[in-house]
Amino acid sequence: MLRIIGTVVRSAASSTRSIVTPFSSTTLVQRNISAPVQSDEPIDIPNPYEKERRECILCKHNIVPNYKNIKLLSQFQSPYTGRIYGRHITGLCKQKQEQVEKAIIRAQNCALMPTYHKDMDFFQDPRLFDPEKPVRPHKY
Amino acid sequence: MPSYELAMVLRQMSRPELVSVLKRTAESILDKGCIIRNLENLGTRALPHKISEHGVVHREGSYFTITFDSAPTKISDFMEEFGRDIDIVRRRIFKIEEPEEFQCTLHEEMLPPAYRKDVQEMIDIAKRKQKPKFKYNSGLDYYPFQK
Ligand SMILES: [Zn+2]
Repeated sequence: MLRIIGTVVRSAASSTRSIVTPFSSTTLVQRNISAPVQSDEPIDIPNPYEKERRECILCKHNIVPNYKNIKLLSQFQSPYTGRIYGRHITGLCKQKQEQVEKAIIRAQNCALMPTYHKDMDFFQDPRLFDPEKPVRPHKY
Repeated sequence: MPSYELAMVLRQMSRPELVSVLKRTAESILDKGCIIRNLENLGTRALPHKISEHGVVHREGSYFTITFDSAPTKISDFMEEFGRDIDIVRRRIFKIEEPEEFQCTLHEEMLPPAYRKDVQEMIDIAKRKQKPKFKYNSGLDYYPFQK
């Protein structure tokens, strides 16, 4: 809001030399007609508090999940039940999560991956996320 | 002709037998006028669970994939033909598609609910679904008489 006022004020101040301006009737501009352009008036800059744009881990490294890459896919599987972790736990974007789920189901269909547990060979793999601390809260 | 990928699990066999099974499947693909692009061996290992197929319980298998170009109408014939083969434990055919280009939307998804586009759409739908309320047009924000 402050910034909008600032731009209005400055445009009005620059047009004071002309005789009639559409803004001249407002009290806000009238108060500023006499005042010169000051150094401490609001300036037009992008929001300094804007957060950095985040990317999910697969988009960052530009990975397309494939159903034959079971070592990668098993990282998105629960070691206890073999269930695919949801988006609130994996921290993936919508499209990547969909691709991962599709690839895992494909791999399970081709008997490449177990459905009710995680492959024992991949138990020591580094964890991409912590299921105990979901990215977003969930109802369970 | 679109590209397809045949993923199959062969039963536990000796090497010459394995070769003959692969030759048989490859020839049946070629006989239908299709083109084989690639043949991949994913190795022999224990199956993730026992699979009962053709009246035999399998616990180990060899994984192979064959990439081929074929007419879409012939896919069901392949599935039927390989389903009759005793040496093939499991077979799946997938179409090979180029992955779609897209921008990561994680940043938009992590915004507070009021700023998310899908939430705004849901609110709009709920607003549209509300029943129309009678307006008294009295200029007052309350009903002046006893209800
Ligand atoms: Zn992403």
